Amino acid sequence: MRLLLVEDNARLAALVRDGLSAQGFVVDWAASLAGAEAALAGSTYDLLLLDLGLPDGDGLALLRSVRQRRDRTPILVLTARGGLDDRVCGLDAGADDYLVKPFQIPELAARCRALLRRPGAVLGTSLGCGNVALDTATRAVTVAGAPVDASPREVGVLEALLRRSGHVVAKAALENALYTLDADVTANALEAAVSRLRKRLAAGDADVTIRTVHGVGYALLAPAAADRAHA
Amino acid sequence: MPEHSGSGPSLFRQIARRLVVFTLIFALLDIFIVIATYARHPESLTQELLTLEAERIAPLADPASADPAPGTRNWSARLVGPRADGDATLIDWTRRDRIDGGYRISGMRPVGDDTASHWLLIRFDTVGMRPFVPVILDELVEHVALPLVPLSALLLLFNVISVRRVLAPLQRAEAEVDSLAPDNMAMRLTVPGEPREVDTLVRAVNRALARLETAIVTLRDFTANAAHELRTPLAIMQLSLERLPDGAIKADLQADTDQMTRLVGQMLDLAQADALVVADPVPVDLAALGRAVVTQLSPGAFAAGRELRFVDQGGAIIQGHAEAIFRLYRNLVDNALAHAPGTTPIDVTAGPGPQMSVRDHGPGIAAADLPHLFERFWRKDRSGTGGAGLGLGIVRRLVDAHGGSITVESPAGGGALFRVRFPAA
Repeated sequence: MRLLLVEDNARLAALVRDGLSAQGFVVDWAASLAGAEAALAGSTYDLLLLDLGLPDGDGLALLRSVRQRRDRTPILVLTARGGLDDRVCGLDAGADDYLVKPFQIPELAARCRALLRRPGAVLGTSLGCGNVALDTATRAVTVAGAPVDASPREVGVLEALLRRSGHVVAKAALENALYTLDADVTANALEAAVSRLRKRLAAGDADVTIRTVHGVGYALLAPAAADRAHA
Repeated sequence: MPEHSGSGPSLFRQIARRLVVFTLIFALLDIFIVIATYARHPESLTQELLTLEAERIAPLADPASADPAPGTRNWSARLVGPRADGDATLIDWTRRDRIDGGYRISGMRPVGDDTASHWLLIRFDTVGMRPFVPVILDELVEHVALPLVPLSALLLLFNVISVRRVLAPLQRAEAEVDSLAPDNMAMRLTVPGEPREVDTLVRAVNRALARLETAIVTLRDFTANAAHELRTPLAIMQLSLERLPDGAIKADLQADTDQMTRLVGQMLDLAQADALVVADPVPVDLAALGRAVVTQLSPGAFAAGRELRFVDQGGAIIQGHAEAIFRLYRNLVDNALAHAPGTTPIDVTAGPGPQMSVRDHGPGIAAADLPHLFERFWRKDRSGTGGAGLGLGIVRRLVDAHGGSITVESPAGGGALFRVRFPAA
């Protein structure tokens, strides 16, 4: 997974680079629009991390020129601008997502993974949280190394939750994961799948929790957060 | 709210009052002049008195039986034969002779019309000024009241009309000034052209507005720029702290950085909220935004052992600015998280209809705090929750920009419920 980080602040760029490298990404850095154009001309990237305020111009200009070239590389805009209309401007210009500074590396990494089309391809085929792991290729679920039986629907739900662990995943997004497996989904299929998944994880002594966010969706919480939530 | 009822008197009343006072002074001056004139010429006063007396008793069948004039003694009057044309033996005459304690006044006056006229001989004694009072009053009516009253009335009417005309542009300007607000400082008053006094005033106000606008925009831009500039160093701080070994110091520093981040975010939010004008509202689904806010804030709430719950009560579509409404929601939820204790849940709702609400299960809001709740930088206790007291100020501003209203309720079961109602879409 090669990322191009376009950011003029060298210290911030170094921190982001180190943080993302630790998460398994390969990060190239450009400090200006000109540098970014040169890097894009020289190689192919799976994802572009773009700061908007650059010394030689506006990052939105690069965004537009990339999109005009019919280049569909996912672009995540990183910016200090948090104006009421900036988010809309960035997304209108063809950005796929938008993260306002300051941010934390886990959040940035999660957003990057969400944008990558084949998240399993290079980052390894395993998704994990706490002692729960899922092999996206073989669809095998393990808790603390021991295999756990789960239906394709439950694995689909678990995968969606693992990709955004610590975050709320909307019911609609989870239901989509079910529909792709099976066109014939009843109204409470999702609730049923989550309920069975919870039982299976609990039976295997999993240290993660699936929290219901009433009226919105579900969230898979890592051990620390889950412990505090029960305190 | 603009004060429409000025405390001072209106220009019209001022002018009317001055005109009345002016008229009274003139009348007094006139009266003084009349009295002084007669005092210097007692014989003309006597002549006038006799003429008046003759007019008084002439219509009577028998002048001799008429009542004496008040303040006179030995009053007598009799007709002295018809007056023939060219008869020069009888003429108008008036005599005034000093007697003990006063004057004896006698004289002849013609009465009736030209064809059948009689002469009337009148005689009486006066003591003091009493008999002359009717004469002086008569003079006053004729020379003071009759010219002054219509003149004053005309002046008053003329003044009313011209004041109305002068004030019309002022009233227009007042309405325009009332609609001025920090968020539409670009507005200027309509220059009336005439009258020149109003015109120069309006131009001066417009120049002051231009200076104010510059100041407000400068301040707003400064706040926004400062907040922007602070974000990159904050990001560097946060990411650097991540690399420290775990421990109490790291946790404290992270908490401090988080608080600073929140404050910078709020400063920026407030500057942007102040600048917000919902110029081209689009349909906004409050339920979608409510879910988005719960989704965004849940990770932080989970970390604190809290829970956010969302309920869609239906029909919550309004006209507005989606990102602004999102921030409105976010600030209300942030506020609830900051002020409700422990692990109590926060309930976020959209609807029914064009309204939204955020409810906590904390101690509720004391009546004494209600007036200050939406003030900027106001906090219940300065040592408190790490907020800057800006959140509800932002909320108030965003609600105003949408023409909505916000209320705080104390629902059954405790806690505080903030409800925002929007104009129907």
